[in-house]
Amino acid sequence: MSDMNAMSAPNVQQSVEPQVPENTPLPPSDKPPGPWKTVWTKFRKNGFAMSGLVVLFLFILVAVFANWIAPYKPDRIDLMIANLAPGTGNHLLGTDEVGRDIFSRLVYSSRISMFIGFSVAAITVIIGSIIGAVSGYFGGWVDTIFMRIVDVMNSIPTLFLNILVMAIFGTKISYMIMILAFTSWTGVARLVRGNFLQLREMQYVEAAKAIGVSSWGIIFRHLMRNASFPIIVNATLMVGGAILSESGLSYLGLGIQAPATSWGLMLSNSQEFMLTNPMQAVYPGLCILIVVLAVNFIGDGIRDALDPRQKNSRGRLAKWRKSFSKSGI
Amino acid sequence: MTEYLIRRILQSILVLFLISLVTFGLIHAAPGGPTQMMISPGMSPAAAKVQMHNLGLDKSIPEQYWIWIKNLLTGDLGKTFKNNIPVGDILWPTMKNTFVLMSFSWVISMIIAIPWGIYNSTKPYGISDQTANFVSYVGFAMPAFWFGIILQQVFSLELNWLPLSDMYAMDKQGNFIDLLYHLILPCTVLILANLAAYSKYSRSSMLEVLEQDYIRTARAKGVPERKVIFRHALRNALIPIITVLGMELPTLVVGATLTESVFNWPGMGRLFVDMARAREYSVLMAIALVTAVVVVLGNLIADILYKLVDPRVQLGRKGGKSA
Repeated sequence: MSDMNAMSAPNVQQSVEPQVPENTPLPPSDKPPGPWKTVWTKFRKNGFAMSGLVVLFLFILVAVFANWIAPYKPDRIDLMIANLAPGTGNHLLGTDEVGRDIFSRLVYSSRISMFIGFSVAAITVIIGSIIGAVSGYFGGWVDTIFMRIVDVMNSIPTLFLNILVMAIFGTKISYMIMILAFTSWTGVARLVRGNFLQLREMQYVEAAKAIGVSSWGIIFRHLMRNASFPIIVNATLMVGGAILSESGLSYLGLGIQAPATSWGLMLSNSQEFMLTNPMQAVYPGLCILIVVLAVNFIGDGIRDALDPRQKNSRGRLAKWRKSFSKSGI
Repeated sequence: MTEYLIRRILQSILVLFLISLVTFGLIHAAPGGPTQMMISPGMSPAAAKVQMHNLGLDKSIPEQYWIWIKNLLTGDLGKTFKNNIPVGDILWPTMKNTFVLMSFSWVISMIIAIPWGIYNSTKPYGISDQTANFVSYVGFAMPAFWFGIILQQVFSLELNWLPLSDMYAMDKQGNFIDLLYHLILPCTVLILANLAAYSKYSRSSMLEVLEQDYIRTARAKGVPERKVIFRHALRNALIPIITVLGMELPTLVVGATLTESVFNWPGMGRLFVDMARAREYSVLMAIALVTAVVVVLGNLIADILYKLVDPRVQLGRKGGKSA
C-alpha cells in the first residue's frame, strides 16, 4: 500500500498544482519542481532541440513580419526582368520566369506554410484528444466504434483522400486545413486512448470519483493534464507533417493557387523552368526541409526530456501503421 | 487462432464496407456530383435526361450505391464517363507499372536497410549509426518530390546521364534495359524515403532484443559475440521487421503519387491525380476501393504473420495491440 502511495504521489501533485509559469520563481520549499520546469531544464541542454526552437522562432518571425521583410510584392510581375540570376539588381535570389522576386515569394510563402502547419496541428490535437479521451476513459461500445472508425481512416491512403477532396470540393485553403486535420487525428486519438487506459486506473481517479467529480471533470481536469506531454510531442511532429502535406498538394496543383504563394506551389512552377532557372527549385525545398527538421528536432527533444527510454518501446506496430499511410512519397 | 481469424476477417469486411460507403458518399456529396460532369452545357434538357437515364444517374443515391456494389461483386468496375472505356482496362496496366517501380525500390531498400540497421545496433552511436540517424532525419523532413526534382536537374539536365522522366524512351517501348535506366532516379527517391524508416526500425528492433535477459545469459556463458548477434538476437529481431515489411506490401500497389508525378511515371498514384482532376468518378472509386482492399489485406497478413512467427503474441486481447 505504501508503495502505491509513493507511486501516485507525484501524479497527485501534478494535478493539484499544475503548470508553474516559467518565470515565477519557485517558493523556497522542498517541493520538487513542476513537470514543465523539469522538462524545460532537460530540453535546454539538448543542442539540436534548442537550435530547432531558434530556427522555428525565426521562421515564425519572418512569417509574421513578411510585409516588412520582403523587398517586393510576391505577385509583382515584370517581364522585363524575368529569370534574373541571383544577386542581379536588387534581387537577392534572382527572379522567376515572369520576373517575380524569388526571395520575396519565399518570405510570403512561409506565412501559408506556418499557418497551415500550426492550425492543422491544433485542430488535430483537439479532435484527436477528445475522441481518444472519451474512447479510453469510457471504454465499451464507445471505444469499439471509435476504434473501428480509426481503422477505416487508416485503411484509406491519406494522400488519396486529400487529393480526392481537394479535386472535388475545390482548392480552398480552409478545405485543405480541414481535410488535413480530418486525416491525421487518428494518431493522436490512439495515443491519448492508450494513455487514458492506464491513467484511469490511477488512485487519484478513484479519489476524484469518490468525492463526486463528474466524468468530464476527471477527463479534462485530471487525466488530460497528465497526458499532455505525449500530446504535445505528437502535435509538434504534426506541424511538420502538415507542412509537408501542403507542399505535396500544392505541387500537384491541388493546393494553394496563384496569386497566393507557397513553397509547394513555387516548386511546381520551378519544374517547368528547370532549364532556364535551375536554382529556382532549390530554395523552396530547402525552406521546407529546414522548417520541418526544426520542428522534428523540437518534438524529439521534448520526448527525450520526458523519458529517454520511452523512444521505441510500446505500440511500435501501431505507430508504424500510422506513419506508413502518412509517408509523403 | 481460428476464432481470431474469423473475427478479423469479419472486421475487415466491415471496414471495407464502411470505406466503400465513405468513398461513394464523398463523391456524391460533391457540389454538382457526377451529374454535372456528364451533361455538356449545350445539351437540351430532354437529351440530358436521356443521358442521365443511360448512365443510371437518375436513380436515388442508395439505389446507385446498390448497383455499384452489385457490379463490383461480379468484377465489373464500371466505365469511364469520357470515351466509355472499362475501368479495369485502365487500372490493371497502370497497376503493373506501379508494381515495377515500387517492388524494385522496396527490395533494394530492404537489402540495404536491414543489414545496416542491424550493424548499427551492435555499435550504437558509432559513425555508421550517426550517419543513419542523419539520413533518417533528413529523409523524414524532406519533401521526397523535391529530392526528385533536384536529382532530375543534376543527373538529367546538367550531367545528362539519366533520362528525365517517363518509363521508356519514345522509340524503346518495352525494352528492359531502357526500363532499368528509367528506374534509377525515381527509385533513388523512394529508396531514400524507405531507408530512413527501415534502418531505424530494424536498429531499434534489434536493440530491444539485445537488452533481453537471454542475450545476457548467452554472453555470460561465453558464447562468441558473433554467434550472440546472428544466432540468438537476429532471429528474434527479424520477427517485427518482417511484420512491418508485410505491412508495407500495399504500397506496392498503391504507388507513390508525388514521385510518380515528378517523374511522369504512368502508375496508380499519377492516375489517381489525373482522374481526380478530370473527375472520372468511376475510376476514382475503383482505385480507392482496390487500395482499401490491399491495405486491409496487408494489415491482416501482417497480424497473422506476427502471430505465426512469434507464439508469445496474443492477438485481439482487450487493450492489446490490435485495438
